[in-house]
Amino acid sequence: MDEEQQQVASTWPLPPPFWKDFTSDNVSRIEELRKETADRLGVQDTWKVRLDGLPRELRNLQPPPEPEDGEWRVFGDRYRLKDELPQLEDGEIRRLFPDLDERDQDGKHFDRVTILKRLAKSLLLNFLELTGLLATSPEAAEDKITDIRDLFINFHHLINEYRPHQARESLITMMQSQLDRTRAETNAIRDAKDKAERVLEGLGSLTIENQVNYKTLENEESYDPDIEAWTMLLE
Amino acid sequence: MGDRLTQLQDAVDQLATQFIASINYINQHHSLETLGPRDQIVVIPKQEADQQEVDPHPEDVFRAAQVELAQDLITKEQQIEYLISILPGLDNSEQDQERNIRELEEELKVAEAQRQEAIKEREETLARLNAVICSIRRP
Repeated sequence: MDEEQQQVASTWPLPPPFWKDFTSDNVSRIEELRKETADRLGVQDTWKVRLDGLPRELRNLQPPPEPEDGEWRVFGDRYRLKDELPQLEDGEIRRLFPDLDERDQDGKHFDRVTILKRLAKSLLLNFLELTGLLATSPEAAEDKITDIRDLFINFHHLINEYRPHQARESLITMMQSQLDRTRAETNAIRDAKDKAERVLEGLGSLTIENQVNYKTLENEESYDPDIEAWTMLLE
Repeated sequence: MGDRLTQLQDAVDQLATQFIASINYINQHHSLETLGPRDQIVVIPKQEADQQEVDPHPEDVFRAAQVELAQDLITKEQQIEYLISILPGLDNSEQDQERNIRELEEELKVAEAQRQEAIKEREETLARLNAVICSIRRP
């Protein structure tokens, strides 16, 4: 009874009951089984091996297979295994730019720039035409609005197509800055070390210990040698 | 502020909003015309004007607003073109990028190894320094 009340009161659902099967003992057992099967089948990647006829307590440790039609549902939404940009034609939008194979032949993206700029100018021109149409024959404006809509959607499509490229570009920038940081840190460490070594050499040549002994004997003050040493080190 | 592409996308969306705002303004504040000689323009008292579909602005105000809206549209379009021209990595192909990433990965490994080495050297020096200081402390 108590437990039931707790369940009702908790904000989040309880973890699925099979979490208890993931003991370190069971995990190592299934690792071994996977390795054996992989060796027998001659597969490199042990994670891709599917095991049949597992004992009950190990059955939950094997993740379920991928959906065969490449689609699944979560919270009422449909998702696809392969996450790709929907084609313009699927949404019955006219495509206003050449195919991917026909532009940017050298792998660079200048064609994309040209197309985008052309679309931006077309947007303005079409808007001008739209205002003109609205003033003279409003019933013809419907088609013009469709044109403008298509232009906008084409624009967004081209932008989204470029996103993976930008993601890689950002990765490069991040790696470069990390590299610079690591190198700067190494240099700073080396500098500090060199300084410390010079101080050590200086101490050796000054035969500080003699001085220290001398001073202690004379002043009878125990702090002095420390101060001397510290000032030398801090230089 | 987001990345360049998001900025561009936002700018395009803003252009669309400006289109609508411009048409909306003209639609609401244009002057009234008579269609025939017998028509009359009814002058609506000021307090009721807000509820009316059309609220004519004086000629000069209307003109100035139109000019401003048009200028804003041009400015936004130029912003978009500028954003397009500064998109990152335009002159890199995918192969270039991959090669770049791989090279950087190697360099990072080397740099990290050097860093670890430097840290080790620092520790050693620190230990030596420590030993010297201790010997000074107890003459």
